[in-house]
Amino acid sequence: MSPSRLPSGGAVIDRSRPIKFKWNGKSFTGFEGDTIVSALAANGVDVFSRSMKYHRRRGILTGDFWDPNCFVQVGDEPNVRAGHRLISAGIEVSAQNVWPSLERDVKAANGLVGRFLTAGFYYKTFMKPATLWPKYEKILATFAPGGAIDIESTPGRYDKRYSHPDVLVAGGGPAGMAAAIAAAEAGADVMLVEHNHQLGGHLLWGSAEDQKRAASLGARCIEVGVEVLTDSTVTGRYDGSWVAINQRNVAGETIERVVKARAKCLVIAPGLIERPYIFEGNDRVGVMTSGAARRMLNMYGIKPGQKAVVFTANAAGDAAAADLADAGVEVTTVDGRTGADVVRASGSGDRVEQVELADGTVYEADLLVTAVGWTAPTSLANMSGDRPSYDPSAARFFCTSLPDDVLPTGGLAGDGSLEENLTHASATGRLAARRGLTMRNQMRSMTPRASTGVPAPIKDASEPAPLPRANHPELFRSTTHGLVDFSEDVGSKDLWAAAAEGFDSVELVKRFTTATMGPSQGKLETVNTVAVLAEYLGQSIEEVGTTVWRPPYAPVSLGALAGKNSTPHRISSIHVWNKANNCKFIHAGAWLRPDHYGNAQAEAKNVRDNVGIIDVTPLGKLDLQGPNVPDLLELLYVNKWRKLDIGKVRYGVMVGEDGVVLDDGVTARLGEEHYMMTTTSSGAASIWEWAENWLQTERPDWDVRIVPVTTSYTSINVAGPKSRELLLKICEDVDLSNEAFGYMSARPATVAGVAESLMLRIGFTGELSYEVHVPAAHGLKVWEALLDAGKDLGVKPFGLEAQRILRLEKGHFIVGQDTDGLTRGASAGLGGLIKLDKDDGVGLPELRWAADRTDLAQVVSIALDDGMIVPEEASQLVDGETNTIVGRITSSRMSPNLGRSVCMGQVIPELAAPGSKLTVLLTDGRRVPAKIHTDHAFIDPEGARLRA
Amino acid sequence: MLLVPCPNCGPRDASDFKFGGESSSRPDPRTATPEQWRDYVHLKTNVAGNQKETWYCRGCRTYFSLHRDTVTNIFGAPQS
Amino acid sequence: MARKKPARYSAFDLVKRGLKNEEWPRLWDHHDLNKSYDAIIIGGGVHGLATAYYLAKDHGITNVAVMDKGYLGGGGSGRNTAIVRSNYLTPEGINFYNRSLELYGSMATDHNLNVMFSERGHLTLAHSDASLRTMRWRAEVNKLQNINSLVIGPDEVKKIVPSLDISRDAAHPIEGALFHPPGGIIRHDAVVWAYARSAAAMGTQMHQKTEVLDIICEGGSGPDGKGPGGKVTGVRTNRGDVSAPVVVNCTAGWATLISDMAGVKLPITTFTLQAAVTEPVKVFLPAVVVSGSLHCYVSQTDRGELVFGAAVDPVSTYSMRGTFEFTENLAGHILDLMPGVAKMRLLRQWAGLCDMTPDYSPVMGVTPVEGFYVDVGWGTYGFKAGPGSGEAMANTISSGRNADIIAPFDLARFAEDRLVGEKGAAAVGH
Repeated sequence: MSPSRLPSGGAVIDRSRPIKFKWNGKSFTGFEGDTIVSALAANGVDVFSRSMKYHRRRGILTGDFWDPNCFVQVGDEPNVRAGHRLISAGIEVSAQNVWPSLERDVKAANGLVGRFLTAGFYYKTFMKPATLWPKYEKILATFAPGGAIDIESTPGRYDKRYSHPDVLVAGGGPAGMAAAIAAAEAGADVMLVEHNHQLGGHLLWGSAEDQKRAASLGARCIEVGVEVLTDSTVTGRYDGSWVAINQRNVAGETIERVVKARAKCLVIAPGLIERPYIFEGNDRVGVMTSGAARRMLNMYGIKPGQKAVVFTANAAGDAAAADLADAGVEVTTVDGRTGADVVRASGSGDRVEQVELADGTVYEADLLVTAVGWTAPTSLANMSGDRPSYDPSAARFFCTSLPDDVLPTGGLAGDGSLEENLTHASATGRLAARRGLTMRNQMRSMTPRASTGVPAPIKDASEPAPLPRANHPELFRSTTHGLVDFSEDVGSKDLWAAAAEGFDSVELVKRFTTATMGPSQGKLETVNTVAVLAEYLGQSIEEVGTTVWRPPYAPVSLGALAGKNSTPHRISSIHVWNKANNCKFIHAGAWLRPDHYGNAQAEAKNVRDNVGIIDVTPLGKLDLQGPNVPDLLELLYVNKWRKLDIGKVRYGVMVGEDGVVLDDGVTARLGEEHYMMTTTSSGAASIWEWAENWLQTERPDWDVRIVPVTTSYTSINVAGPKSRELLLKICEDVDLSNEAFGYMSARPATVAGVAESLMLRIGFTGELSYEVHVPAAHGLKVWEALLDAGKDLGVKPFGLEAQRILRLEKGHFIVGQDTDGLTRGASAGLGGLIKLDKDDGVGLPELRWAADRTDLAQVVSIALDDGMIVPEEASQLVDGETNTIVGRITSSRMSPNLGRSVCMGQVIPELAAPGSKLTVLLTDGRRVPAKIHTDHAFIDPEGARLRA
Repeated sequence: MLLVPCPNCGPRDASDFKFGGESSSRPDPRTATPEQWRDYVHLKTNVAGNQKETWYCRGCRTYFSLHRDTVTNIFGAPQS
Repeated sequence: MARKKPARYSAFDLVKRGLKNEEWPRLWDHHDLNKSYDAIIIGGGVHGLATAYYLAKDHGITNVAVMDKGYLGGGGSGRNTAIVRSNYLTPEGINFYNRSLELYGSMATDHNLNVMFSERGHLTLAHSDASLRTMRWRAEVNKLQNINSLVIGPDEVKKIVPSLDISRDAAHPIEGALFHPPGGIIRHDAVVWAYARSAAAMGTQMHQKTEVLDIICEGGSGPDGKGPGGKVTGVRTNRGDVSAPVVVNCTAGWATLISDMAGVKLPITTFTLQAAVTEPVKVFLPAVVVSGSLHCYVSQTDRGELVFGAAVDPVSTYSMRGTFEFTENLAGHILDLMPGVAKMRLLRQWAGLCDMTPDYSPVMGVTPVEGFYVDVGWGTYGFKAGPGSGEAMANTISSGRNADIIAPFDLARFAEDRLVGEKGAAAVGH
């Protein structure tokens, strides 16, 4: 017999507001406040899904978020909890994982061979022939449960928020509300988070009086200033009292939000979750928990059946029997406290038609309601470090070892009357306020310059008197076998069989059978699993122990976890010009850098022939001041720095304490105690922190101040034989002559009218060139001035690609490309640069030892015999026709200025001498001859162009 | 998210910091043997319990030492 | 030692026992602790069990106890993301992983237990020219080692994994990928059970809930006879003292603590590595996808769940509680790569411990304490190398000297500055 809507009743629905939606293509109408399940049930629908393995019809089990039988597809959203999701106009809801339809599903044939498909059967078959496994695998994959996603869809809007409550209360039932009210009254900032759509917890499916109580507590929460989040779940508590909340009822276009709260005190009041009972036929349509029956009746005004058997072992079951009778259902009560037991539900079409008791009595019924006890959802306690222990007289787990800033109340703390619970919760709330405010004051006091103004914590808060624990029979399994995990189709018989095979601990049985691994993550299944295993092993539940509940408490969408999908990029002041001028960008770390402007070869040639300008703003720049700067430089670089004159520039390489190359760049001395260090772009932040580390931890007596100025300047390299000529046009206050401003010098300058600029005459490209650093706000102005002034000189912008060609022609290595995680200073062709006769230096001992080594790979320049071949970077150097690796190409480009390819690479020391013959294994498999180039530089090895 | 007690800024999210690992003392580079030097570079105590370690605050740009229990992740008082 | 042939697994036997309602025999038995063993292996994960299995199979050494403080496969073996591959950077490393991949490939038939090895292809995405260069480096080295590994362009990437966003204006555009067709996923728990079952059938004893509290040594330079120059004589456990001339440290997470018990210092720091799984959806992701620069990887199980992993956490710790940041960063990166999965829900996150070494390579073989062997420091790669290293460790233990394949990974390399070059590719992860 189908469920139906009662003529009146239903605390959370508004019968004046009908809503139309679709279920499996057909139109249905429900009311505002209806969940998908209640709206469908009101229309007589009793089957919502097929089970995972045997594809049996499934109806309401718990009728809430955790109901494993009520997973549906809504539009392109899979696995929607139909017992929790509210209907809204026009939504298209369909059954998941059925074919061709929910009522006639061909995979139900699995049920016929169920006895052979015991848990873990797949470990024991499909092994031979091995070649067939991929085909078996494809077939097994079609049995994957769950809905479908649309891979072409784009994420909607999600966002995040931070919150800093003194007290965070997880759970908006009566205890959670009372705790929140008490904490707020004691002066704390309180946030209350409720998983369901309304505050009230179990009061919502209770009597009319209960519902009134819920409403008045809820109103009081608002009065005292508690921030209430409904349809929101505290999903985890992490180290440092970091609490994550998934807020689903966000206004506007935002789909979901994640709230991250530093909860100074956390009150956990999740209530209790009703356990299903294990017996033969317990997954039949029409078997449900007392909570499910009462939710349907009292929240949604739905009569879940006509003839009911209520198997009750507690007050909740008694109340369900009474409520059903009030609604006109014919009720037979079976009292589990007296030893009576349900052993079997049977019927046709996977539905309940008869209920059989242990004494042989059989009742005709279309509804079997069970009330056999509770699971304490101790997830948040587990995540706080608690190991819960089992109390057999109360037949559930309790917390044992919570930290001071996590306080349980409500069902997690004990039983007792509603009034006793509220008293406990209020005391808990006051204590939470006291601890939360104490923590807030403490955090303020740890912050040297913080303002005051935190309310003083109340003094008269103490540990609440413990709640009594009600006796409850240990009812887990009847004398028959039934399902333990409804989402995974794992039964008590499967668990016993697994234990018999040696999977006889709760962790192993879980892994072997997949019990508790499904979408409800053990909320309904874990305790039953433990109990069934304990029964088999003849041990107590306490001895068997339980598994650790892991976050999240309830699943969170990847969209919400990701938040706003934005990846910021760093750009220079010239970016707008680049964008407007056909520039192709390249991602370099967080930077968007100009790669080329259409023709990198031509750009590189123009630098050698005329003059080019490149935006090199991301180059790391550190302003160093103080009397001990030379000491710092001498410590960090492998070379010496104490004799650098003002206005001079020197190149240096840094290594780590292990002697491996870390970074390189030039440093200019600008004044008596004033220097500017440049680093690689990727080293901009890390070298700054590296230098600070040495100063602060190893050399605190040194007086050096470091300011990172990377983005304070826009940096432009003006390179080419006509670069001096170009700069002469826009720079009036510097004598640019070779005599006055020679290679490796630095000058303060006014460029294109921009004062406080700085010019370094250096040459990564191997050309006469000036690195011009101008205050960032004026970068674009200077860039345009250079282009304008250089028109007749043939000035053209060039990008990173041209710069790579140019530096390769010059044989300059790039740290991290031509060197790697093991390249020592002595390997990088730096023999002459490294000075070993220093008192100290980072990695100095390793540099000394490496100097004597003959086994280190060397960074070299390489020319292929056939200069028309450009080997792919990372092509291997091999020993003749063998597969023995002797090195690799680390950089390679066609040189527009030489008309042949130029390469750098690493080789074993035996082959590193100029002229040594090499074999390059191209990526297409060809082996071609090459030689170590005579000099590092292919162009201008003597450096005449640089010094011109 | 750990809450790291910076001596200047007070307790702040760990994302404001760089973790520098367990503290070690640098041998004299003039006299260290290869074994001593490489012990310093590579070997770790890796204690399960109270560890003295280095943190860098990206707010106030300060390196400082902290004690942290590597099992519970609870910090002791900061030391400069 | 008692030997018995394990029950045969096959479809036929499933039906037979199903019809007769007959239970299957245990995969391994419980035992009391003996007074002494020929070898004690600490750590009942893939490495320890594989070592035990090859000691028995290849060398006839079966008077062996595998001790685990929890249950078999409860550490890294049961917490990893079950990805297997062999496209590493160094020839030394490749030797291990490739041998392991071979053994994984034949494991179901070798052990008559379906470990569900799914050779589905493994893609490591490159989002920059630098990362593409590293991919090519790996591909070229791999080719020379006869590993099927090649660099492919964005269009080919899209063909293999249609859910990836290959547009140029993506937050992290895909420039190409290293494609490794033999890579795939495997049922990690089943690997543990297969080794345990086979080893137990040859007489090796499995001792779960058996925690080694101390290693008993004599003759060493340190306190209590521990340390260099000494030798091991046994272990102290929560179930009593046991003597053995050989003790093997096959732990991850606790490797330094166990080695400390023998007075052997290791260059290891312990970090958390986290993973997560979503609710199941219909299968749409045919290959394993890794992004090294975004520090994430993802595959879809035959059950339809997405399994995610990331890089190790930034702060060293022995805590396995996990962090929320991990899930946020992970989801952000996955959505950058596959925008279509936004509505999938993260179901569970967990953490395991990884022992990180300075050169991202393991520490294996003999130690300065006679009879004390280590197979540790595998970082985030341990599961992938389990079978090969078990085989090599068994070889090393039976001969008392490091097998050739192990030689580059000895403990002495740190003092002698012979670090392994795997670090060059470390950033590109799983």
